[in-house]
Amino acid sequence: MSAEHSGEQPTVGTYLLVALVLTLVTGLEVGVIYVRRLAPIIVPLLVAMSAAKFALVALFYMHLRYDSRVLTFLFVGPLILASGLAVALMTLTGAFLVFGR
Amino acid sequence: MSARPGSHVLQVPPAALPRLTTTATLASWLTTVDHKRIGILYGATAFAFFLLGGIEALLIRLQLAVPENTVVSAHTYNALFTMHGTTMIFLAIMPFNAMFFNFVVPLLIGARDVAFPRLNALSYWIFLAGGLVLNASLLTGTPPDVGWFGYANLTSLHYSPGLNVDFWIFALQILGVSSVMSAINFIVTILNLRAPGMSMMRMPVFVWMTLVVQFLIALAFPPITVGLIFLMFDRFFGTHFYDVAAGADLHLWQHLFWIFGHPEVYILILPAFGIVSEVLPTFARKPLFGAPVMIYSGVLIGFFGFGVWSHHMFAAGMGPVADSAFSIATMLIAIPTGVKIFNWLATLWGGSIRTTTALHFAVGLVGLFTIGGLSGIMHSSPPVDLQQTDSYFVVAHLHYVLIGGSLFGIFAGIYYWWPKMTGRMIGEGLGRLNFWLMFVGFNLAFFPQHYLGAIGMPRRIYTYRADQGWTVANFASTIGAFGIALAVLVFAINAWRSLRRGDPAPADPWDGRTLEWRTSSPPPAHDFDVVPPVYGRDSFWREKYGPRRGPAPGGATAEHPDGGHAGIHLPAPSHWPLLIALGMLIVAVGGLTHVALVVVGALWTLYAIVRLALEHHRTPEHAEQRGVLGLDHRKVAMWVFLGSECFFFGTMIATFLAYKGRSVVGPAPHEIFNIPVTSLSTFDLLMSSLLMVLALAAIQRSDHRHTRLWLFGTAFFGLIFLGFQAFEFTDFVHRGFTMQRNLFGSTFFLLTGLHGTHVAIGVFWLLSLWVLSLRGRLGAVDAIKVEIAGLYWHFVDVVWIAIFTLVYLIP
Repeated sequence: MSAEHSGEQPTVGTYLLVALVLTLVTGLEVGVIYVRRLAPIIVPLLVAMSAAKFALVALFYMHLRYDSRVLTFLFVGPLILASGLAVALMTLTGAFLVFGR
Repeated sequence: MSARPGSHVLQVPPAALPRLTTTATLASWLTTVDHKRIGILYGATAFAFFLLGGIEALLIRLQLAVPENTVVSAHTYNALFTMHGTTMIFLAIMPFNAMFFNFVVPLLIGARDVAFPRLNALSYWIFLAGGLVLNASLLTGTPPDVGWFGYANLTSLHYSPGLNVDFWIFALQILGVSSVMSAINFIVTILNLRAPGMSMMRMPVFVWMTLVVQFLIALAFPPITVGLIFLMFDRFFGTHFYDVAAGADLHLWQHLFWIFGHPEVYILILPAFGIVSEVLPTFARKPLFGAPVMIYSGVLIGFFGFGVWSHHMFAAGMGPVADSAFSIATMLIAIPTGVKIFNWLATLWGGSIRTTTALHFAVGLVGLFTIGGLSGIMHSSPPVDLQQTDSYFVVAHLHYVLIGGSLFGIFAGIYYWWPKMTGRMIGEGLGRLNFWLMFVGFNLAFFPQHYLGAIGMPRRIYTYRADQGWTVANFASTIGAFGIALAVLVFAINAWRSLRRGDPAPADPWDGRTLEWRTSSPPPAHDFDVVPPVYGRDSFWREKYGPRRGPAPGGATAEHPDGGHAGIHLPAPSHWPLLIALGMLIVAVGGLTHVALVVVGALWTLYAIVRLALEHHRTPEHAEQRGVLGLDHRKVAMWVFLGSECFFFGTMIATFLAYKGRSVVGPAPHEIFNIPVTSLSTFDLLMSSLLMVLALAAIQRSDHRHTRLWLFGTAFFGLIFLGFQAFEFTDFVHRGFTMQRNLFGSTFFLLTGLHGTHVAIGVFWLLSLWVLSLRGRLGAVDAIKVEIAGLYWHFVDVVWIAIFTLVYLIP
């Protein structure tokens, strides 16, 4: 549903709140790499935080949360496909092996 | 054509339309933005390149006609098959398809033009520039000679030290820009410019196949673009992307090429499937059998097309698991393809068939493509594929797909839409002669090649011995190739006769089913006097014979004749698309000769882009560009572009990660990165996004002072980010870490450098908007321009979020 149709619009307060969260998560990202006890889960942890920041910018600053779902499809579809291809490419070139050779 | 009940008359006299004031002068063609003229330009140019590629093919076949022949040398033979493949794929089949996209798609959806007419012209001129660059290599005596898929490391400076590969790189990069630009244009056109009532499922199958193909182009070209950038940097700047001694993996090129290359097969064939899906129902006088399933099948073929690329690499030793996965995926893709074949047959079954030339070619496609499809399924089995790899069996297969499929479909389309495009009927007698010569010649040329491959003749050898048992089949193949050439000559004569003294074509010569037959032949500049009502799939047929269905939910027809807009607006001709392409041509020539020309060409291109962007900045008709989705064309286009960019940066990041830890010399990432400094630059870029949305909010409420403040702030923060990057790069270089140092340096500098280039483009864009605002030329009506710049800026931001984590933070 487009913003005009839903009537919902982000406010300046929303933008500032998102900026605050982005700052905090970035601080956390940098912080956790120095915590040795988190080493076993550091990669999924960092990827999750990065994905959260990515989603926040896309949803609120790029207005996907408020805009037409067609636009979400046009962006998220290729994003998922590109991510899948990237994982496949890394697997096939041996960067990490999801399955044995 | 006479006005129909419920239709509305033209609200603006044609004489007032800028496009109609142009005459058939050279200047009018050079500056045209009319989708029909651009379609004709694509067609004429494609035919010229098709002849060139055909001559190259004939020379190949002459050389192979008899054993130990000496028509050409081995080196020339290498160049011939490289140029033939590259020309036919990128300069003939693709632009022939683009001819139909341009001329027919807007008519089929009841539109007056494409969403971005000047961008459309730009796509054509850039395509022409790419074609000229590739073929200029023949004039300089350095044609590419590494095969159309240019496997690494044959393309390295060590093995190909001349300009041959450089011509190939620049030409393909330029052609890629043209294709992606055009793809975005047509996606927006089809999604947003349909006539009221033309719901997605009412669209003709050709339009659907066009839509699928445009997505394939937009998403498949970025990986090959990245692969070519790597190759260019290896050759020009000494990086190591394809340098095994530095730890690189040559399979990377194969993957990047075929991630593009397999979807490219569908880019070439799906338009032909769409054409056949229009031709068969018209000449069988029956609706297309199972049209929704045909649409879903096309979409599935496009989707699966991204998951089968490694079947081109079974011989590369990927291992049994990968081989099995890609083998299964390849077999799966045969299902939707088979659905199409059977639905075409069912469409013909019981029809009142008129055996026109167009129908001949369409039925020819059904039969010949089936043969090519079946040999394709054979390749999906790795053990079988290993026997056929690099043999003439593969040559036979790909020609059954690309000639038996694509080219027969293109000829079906040419004969079908010729009256609409030219306003003249084309000879049926010569047309059938054209078909039979091509049908017989083609099968004589390529069927024996299955046999040649099966008995062991490798592809890409320039001669063979008489005692190898390949002589008869090769001779037959050469005779067949000349049969195809004769067929093309007959077509050229037929086309010439039609243009010179063909009978005038009525609006609806075939008793057609779709909207293009509702307007005159050729159509007027504005396509339709009134936006046509849509009564369902095969709308024009329903309009003539019923049953008419009501408008699609939420749509409108005669009550809302022009999509809510009063009158007809057609953009004026523009010379800037031509001049931008000229600038890109100069850049390419500079890349091959002297860096000064690169600088001159780049500056000229930038200047021309700015002029194009500002050409209609204050034209009131351009302020509002909303389509049937209720969205602005420019916004939809930007999102499609960002989707395409996901593939670009996804490929770059995947390469960085794939090569991580493979450098044979240091330094390693943890020895060189300064995380606190990069964290600061990351924070800076994140905050620039905040300023960007504040700028958008300000312009939407007509607060120009704050618009200027936040726009400048965003650009300033972008400049600070670039400053951080310059500091980081300088520091690294001083410590001996360069892109030539090791594989890590190559991947790191190129990934972050290309991201920095994106930031720099964003800064330039934002400062341009800021200057417009300072001069009082950026009002609330221009909020969409700030919004689009913002989308680009935020995307650059989210890409950095990914880079920061995946490149800098993950150990």
